[in-house]
Amino acid sequence: MKLHVADYLVIILYFAFVVAVGFIIKKRIKSSNDFLNSSKNIPLWITSLAFISANLGAQEVLGMVASGAKYGIMTVHFYWVGAIFAMIFLGVFMMPFYYGSHARSVPEYLFLRFDEKTRGLNAITFAVMTVFSSGISLFALAKLLEVVLGWDFDVSIWIAAGIVLIYTFVGGLTSAVYNEVLQFFLIVLGLSPLVIVALQDAGGWEQVKANLDPKLTHAWKYMGSTDSNPMGIHFMSLIFGLGFVMSFGYWCTDFLVVQRAMIAKNMNASQRTPILAAIPKMFMPLIVVLPGVIAIALSQPAMADKGYSIPVDAAGNMDYTMTLPSLITHYYPSGLMGVGITALLASFMSGMAGNVTAFNSVFTYDIYQAYFMKKRSDRHYLRVGKMVTLFGILFSIGTAYIATSFNNINDFLQLVFSFVNGPLFATFLLGMFWKRTSADGAFWGLLMGTVAAALTHGCTVAEGKGGWITELYTVSSGMGQAFIVAMVSWVVNFFTTIIVSLVTKPKPDSELKGLVYSLTEKPKYTGEKWYQKVVPLAILLIILTVLLNIIFF
Amino acid sequence: MSKRFTELSFIIGLFFIILSVILLGGYLITDALKFRINIFTGCAFLVFGIFMVMVKSGEE
Repeated sequence: MKLHVADYLVIILYFAFVVAVGFIIKKRIKSSNDFLNSSKNIPLWITSLAFISANLGAQEVLGMVASGAKYGIMTVHFYWVGAIFAMIFLGVFMMPFYYGSHARSVPEYLFLRFDEKTRGLNAITFAVMTVFSSGISLFALAKLLEVVLGWDFDVSIWIAAGIVLIYTFVGGLTSAVYNEVLQFFLIVLGLSPLVIVALQDAGGWEQVKANLDPKLTHAWKYMGSTDSNPMGIHFMSLIFGLGFVMSFGYWCTDFLVVQRAMIAKNMNASQRTPILAAIPKMFMPLIVVLPGVIAIALSQPAMADKGYSIPVDAAGNMDYTMTLPSLITHYYPSGLMGVGITALLASFMSGMAGNVTAFNSVFTYDIYQAYFMKKRSDRHYLRVGKMVTLFGILFSIGTAYIATSFNNINDFLQLVFSFVNGPLFATFLLGMFWKRTSADGAFWGLLMGTVAAALTHGCTVAEGKGGWITELYTVSSGMGQAFIVAMVSWVVNFFTTIIVSLVTKPKPDSELKGLVYSLTEKPKYTGEKWYQKVVPLAILLIILTVLLNIIFF
Repeated sequence: MSKRFTELSFIIGLFFIILSVILLGGYLITDALKFRINIFTGCAFLVFGIFMVMVKSGEE
C-alpha cells in the first residue's frame, strides 16, 4: 500500500527520537556497569514500564493478536493466569534474593547460590533463547514492512536491525530501557483507537459474541476437555503448564525482564517494579487480544458487509500473524496509519533491544568474564559489551530467517521458552526455598530438564511440527505442545534436582545467607503508605485478577 | 531548561506533542488527512504530551 507523507513523517520522527535517546544516554556511559547494568539509578515508574515493555515485543503484540484470532478469549490466560501471579511472586518473594545478593544477572545468582557450571549452563541456554526471541521480533518487523509497505524482506531486516544497533550500541541498557518506555506509550496509545473503531464497526462486544462460536468468547467454560476448546488444552494442563511452569519460569527467572527490576534504585523499588508493572499488564488484553477476537468476528459470513477478513497465506490457510497489520490498514486513514505502523515498529524494537541488552550482560559477565578473561580493566569489558551488541544483532538476523517457517510466531516463541524457562523455574524454586539443594543437584536437574524438553518435542507432533524422533502423541495446537514440553521438563528437573541433592553435599549455611529464604532476613518497610508496601499491593492485584477471570469465565 | 531535554518524561511528552501537530496540522492542510479519527487521536496525544512535559520524572 502507499503511505502519505504524513505517515512517513511519523515514522521518521520515531526513528529520530529513539536514536536521539541513545545519544543523550551516551553521555552517562562511563563504565561497563553503566553500559550493561544502568548503575542502578533508574526511577520506579521507568523500571516498571520497562519491565512490561521488555515483554511487549513483536511476539506480544503481533503474536497475541494472532492468538486472539486463532484461540479467542482463551488467549487472556497468558495474562490473567500466565503473568500476573508470577509477577507478584517475583516481587514479593524473589526480588529480595536477586537484589539483595548484588548479583548482576540471573546466571550470576546461580553462581552465588550453586556453582560455576550451573551458571554456565543457564548463561548459554539464555543467550541462545534471547537471540531467538530477538530474531522473531526482527522477522515480524520485516514481514510487516514487506506486506504493508512493499519493502524487500531482506533489506527491511538489515535496516531495522541497524537502527536498533545504533541506540543500543551508544546508550547500552539505559538507552534500551528509556526507549522501551517511549515504545510502551506509543504502542498503547497508537493501537487504542484501532480497538475502539474496530469494535464499533463490529457492533460492540455483544455483537462480536453473537457472531462467534461460544468457545472463542469464554476463557474457562470449555476447558473441561481437550476436544472442546480451540487450544486443545485441559484446564489442568493450562494451570500447571502455563500458569505455573511457563509463567513462573519466564517472569521469575528470565533475565530479560528480571533485569529491569534489578536496576531499580533500592530493594523496595525493585520489589515494587514487577508488582506495579502487573497493573498495565492486567489490562493489556484490551490492546492485544481483543483486536484478534474482533478480527475473527469480522471475518464471519454474517459480517461480510464490513469488508474485512483475516489474510490468507499462499496455501489458503489463515495467516494469523498478519491479523493486526491487516486491521491497521483496514481501519486507519493516512496520518493515523503512520502512528499504527510506528506502534508496530516500536513493539519490534522494544522486544529486540530488550533481548540484545540482556544478551549483552549475560554474555559479557557470565560467559566472557567468567570463562575467558577474568581480570581485565573495566574499559576492556565496556568494549566487549559493545562488540557483543554488534554480534547479538547479527545472530538475531540469522534466527529471523528460521522464524519464517512458523505460521504463528507466538507458538514458536512459546516453544523456545518451554525449552529454556520450563525447567529453570524448578532450579530456582528449590534453590531459593530448600537450602539442602546442592550445586550438583541444580546442574544435573537443569541439564536433564532441558534434555527432557528436547525429547518431548521430538516425540510429540502439533500442526506438523515436532516429532523428529518418533510421533508418539499428537497435540492439536502448537501452544498445547509447548505447555506439555514445559511441564515434562519442569517435572524432570524438579525430581532430578531433589534426588541428586540428597546424595551430594550442599553448601554450608554460612555461604547461603542472602541467597536462601530460610537464611535471609526479610525486608521490612515501616511508616510507608499502603500503596508503597509490597504485600498490600500484591493482595489487591490478586483479587482484581481473580475477578477478571470470573467475569470472562 | 536544557537539563529537561535529558529527562524521559519530557522526551516522551515532546514526542507526542510533535505527533499531535502532524495529525492536527495534516487535518487542516490536506484532504488526505481529513478524518475525524485523526482529530480525536491528535487531541488525545496533545493532552498526553503536555501532561508528560509538565511532570517531573524523578531522574538523577
